[in-house]
Amino acid sequence: MPEPQHLEPPPYVPGGTPELGPADAEVLRTGPGGRGPGGTGPGGTGAGGPDPTGGPSAVPSAAPEERVRSLWSDAWHDLRRNPVFLVSALVILFLVLIALWPQLIAPGNPLDCDLAKAQQGSGPGHPFGFNGQGCDVYTRTVHGARTSVTVGVCATLGVAVLGSVLGGLAGFFGGVWDAILSRVTDVFFAIPVVLGGLVLLSVVTSSTVWPVIGFMVLLGWPQISRIARGSVITARQNDYVQAARALGASPMRILLRHIAPNAIAPVIVVATIALGTYIALEATLSYLGVGLKPPSVSWGIDISAASPYIRNAPHALLWPSGALAVTVLAFIMLGDAVRDALDPKLR
Amino acid sequence: MADTMGEPILEVSGLVKHYPLTRGVLLRKQVGAVRAVDGVDFTLAKGETLGIVGESGCGKSTLARLVVNLEKPTAGSITYRGEDITKLSARALKAVRRNIQMVFQDPYTSLNPRMTVGDIVGEPYEIHPDAAPKGDRRRRVRELLDVVGLNPEHVNRYPHQFSGGQRQRIGIARGLALRPEIIVADEPVSALDVSVQAQVVNLMERLQGEFGLSYVVIAHDLSIVRHISDRVAVMYLGRIVETGRDTEIYDHATHPYTQALLSAVPVPDPGAREHRERIILSGDVPSPTAVPSGCRFRPRCWKARERCETEVPALAVPAGLRYAAGPARHDSACLFAQERHEEHAYGPK
Amino acid sequence: MLLEVRDLHVEFRTRDGVARAVNGVSYGVDAGETLAVLGESGSGKSVTAQAIMGILDSPPGRITGGEILFQGRDLLKLKEEQRRRVRGAEMAMIFQDALSALNPVLPVGDQLGEMFVVHRGMSRKDARTKAVELMDRVRIPGAAARVRDYPHQFSGGMRQRIMIAMALALEPALIIADEPTTALDVTVQAQVMDLLAELQRELTMGLVLITHDLGVVADVADRIAVMYAGRIVESAPVHDLYKAPAHPYTRGLLDSIPRLDHKGRELYAIKGLPPSLMDIPPGCAFHPRCTAARDLCRTDVPPLHEVPGERGSACHFWKECLHG
Repeated sequence: MPEPQHLEPPPYVPGGTPELGPADAEVLRTGPGGRGPGGTGPGGTGAGGPDPTGGPSAVPSAAPEERVRSLWSDAWHDLRRNPVFLVSALVILFLVLIALWPQLIAPGNPLDCDLAKAQQGSGPGHPFGFNGQGCDVYTRTVHGARTSVTVGVCATLGVAVLGSVLGGLAGFFGGVWDAILSRVTDVFFAIPVVLGGLVLLSVVTSSTVWPVIGFMVLLGWPQISRIARGSVITARQNDYVQAARALGASPMRILLRHIAPNAIAPVIVVATIALGTYIALEATLSYLGVGLKPPSVSWGIDISAASPYIRNAPHALLWPSGALAVTVLAFIMLGDAVRDALDPKLR
Repeated sequence: MADTMGEPILEVSGLVKHYPLTRGVLLRKQVGAVRAVDGVDFTLAKGETLGIVGESGCGKSTLARLVVNLEKPTAGSITYRGEDITKLSARALKAVRRNIQMVFQDPYTSLNPRMTVGDIVGEPYEIHPDAAPKGDRRRRVRELLDVVGLNPEHVNRYPHQFSGGQRQRIGIARGLALRPEIIVADEPVSALDVSVQAQVVNLMERLQGEFGLSYVVIAHDLSIVRHISDRVAVMYLGRIVETGRDTEIYDHATHPYTQALLSAVPVPDPGAREHRERIILSGDVPSPTAVPSGCRFRPRCWKARERCETEVPALAVPAGLRYAAGPARHDSACLFAQERHEEHAYGPK
Repeated sequence: MLLEVRDLHVEFRTRDGVARAVNGVSYGVDAGETLAVLGESGSGKSVTAQAIMGILDSPPGRITGGEILFQGRDLLKLKEEQRRRVRGAEMAMIFQDALSALNPVLPVGDQLGEMFVVHRGMSRKDARTKAVELMDRVRIPGAAARVRDYPHQFSGGMRQRIMIAMALALEPALIIADEPTTALDVTVQAQVMDLLAELQRELTMGLVLITHDLGVVADVADRIAVMYAGRIVESAPVHDLYKAPAHPYTRGLLDSIPRLDHKGRELYAIKGLPPSLMDIPPGCAFHPRCTAARDLCRTDVPPLHEVPGERGSACHFWKECLHG
């Protein structure tokens, strides 16, 4: 961070350092502790005089803030004004729409291929051209969204929920369960993804995306669990957690009110970045024949099918990869915006 | 002496907290223990302020956490109004917590950065719904902010928008919400700027009068402890080595460690440096994992003799001073307790 | 004068605006003299020291004016290469947090010896002998045996001694100590301050001691400069300042120390908070907190008035303060 945080050794009071935001200056001006310029007349309080803490009478009336605000309402208020959030949310909304109803913008059949047109460039009615099998790239890209977005979103959600619950509980309660969980995550980390996929998925006969998602969650959760555990342990050591305990707060309350909001940021970041990896992993598995079976359409399948022809027909590779990149970017931006909105310091 | 203050409301006796040192990951084996608190007794009377001083690692912060029940003691009891609170059920303990609250040292980590000030100060009412009716909570929070000298209009702000001193006031308001009888303050001003420390000390003193609070104030700043305490206890390596009324400790210390501590404090008076005779202790405080036999202070003490190696001095009026009249007669855990006539920072001028 | 800072200005450019951390600071130190720079966080005392040492984080920090004369040369006009040779060899710094100032994966002996290898071109073996000598000098028991130990194996007080040894290694003419004992316990603090004062006498070095502790200042300093919001508000020989401060801020600080005869009464407290460096009040920066502020204070920045007895006070009404 480039800000001059090390101006002075701690203990430090924001009242006097340059990293102070405008809001602090406002506190200085209106806060009862710090009367602003002109706040004290020449005849003010005498030396050693009365209450230097500023009694109620010294409290200047700021604009009344009657509405009760909380972290979540403030975060939502923030998000609605954040262009990054709006753009990424629109992109994701669009993706969801075409995943549900691809016919809306691509009425063709993605399995309708004509080998004679293989590797042809764009032409009228076929803006993205044709791939190696002579299928229309535009139609396939639009129809592939369903599988790819489903795999990406569901795998990420599954991994994030399972990983943060297990990691969070282990970090919070510690002890034997934590030790056992840590060893279990080590074991899962040791499983090579591709080899694991070949072994586990080859016994599955279902042709839906769910076995693939299940496999990704099974191998993906330790990554999030480790991060969640670490950030929960960091958050747990703060005095405000002790303060809540001293007030008699239940472990559930401490976990949900005090630790989770302070520990979730790294989980959001890693999970949104992982989303792209899962979409790509689906492609790898499908390519190896253990993921989705041929009649299904997905970006991953198209990307791996088109990669051998990159020199002759780059467009067949470009469009599905572009769609993948935009999707991943949208989710990462969304994650960033949410993370920032949940940090009051960045307001 | 404490009995002049009123009825005792808190009694700590034989309090011990050892943290086991373990080795191994799954099969843990205990290889030793950190003896953070190692047999502490004291009482606190209603409306009284007990100051606990000591250097880092002496166990004073662990003691604070034990008193507010953030940690379970290894042995000993903490009796609040006739009940040993270390042995209470979770439900009964929650009720006791309303009466014993804590103010923390670091105003930057003791407030949840993702909660508004209103939520922070109002949280006690959510945890104890019977303390205030739901519709009344917002008003009470505003009142509390006003009481500690903050603008009640700032309920919707976040902690980072306040300075250190103001944050400490927020922490105090949270501690006051449930109208406790006892507040344990662990280094309440040491993280604040010098010019702001006095404001917070004054606030604490004012609140004590207004709410009839009893304080246990833990600090390493001897001058502030003297200013606010009625009685003082000096801790060294997990034990109280000397205790008494503030003048007894500051002006008539009989334990060598207290004397050294007082003489080491820099005096804010350059005129004193020429004629002041300071005791400069050698070495560091030993690790609480390897506590010396006999008297714990022995390895650094200039008075130590053979007897100190074997005999553990009890915290009581020393034999040599049993018949002494005046302030030198107070509890001191030294076999050779004796007054030292030397001017120090906060002694008589 | 060994070191003379003249009208130094430092700014920090941040997202939220320009923070004027140092606004025209001048002070000087002679060989063998101890100058205490007293101030709260945000007063600019550490930034000034960093500017002198040439270790200011820039960006965002920027020196926008002034001179730093060290043994007659203006350090701000030197090239970085020449500056580096001054740093460590001719002036050295001691930090507050010795644990983070030492490299945790190198034995302390190697870190001490490094100074001799880099600046004096000694062999590793000779450097190690030198390191043991230095550790002896700062009275670390069993130096020869502990030279291979790592920083975490030493206690806080011992680590601060190692920092002092490092600063003294090349016998610099000037030492800047930034809160050297703040992180230490009182009994250890006394040991370390004593050691530092003794070594300074022995080597007749100039010492700039940056602190917020009025007690430490009274114990060791010859002169004192009090800083507030990036300016020096008062400078004086230490005895005179404690006896009769000539600035209301200094007076307030001295009055807020708990004293025996104030027991049971309310402590004197300077009201309000130190100002934001982004938004320093016009006129005298202290006027919103000052009990004696008048109209003049709200509009005119007070210069550092000369006060009899080699003193200075940046208060329009220093006479009243001195005699009040």
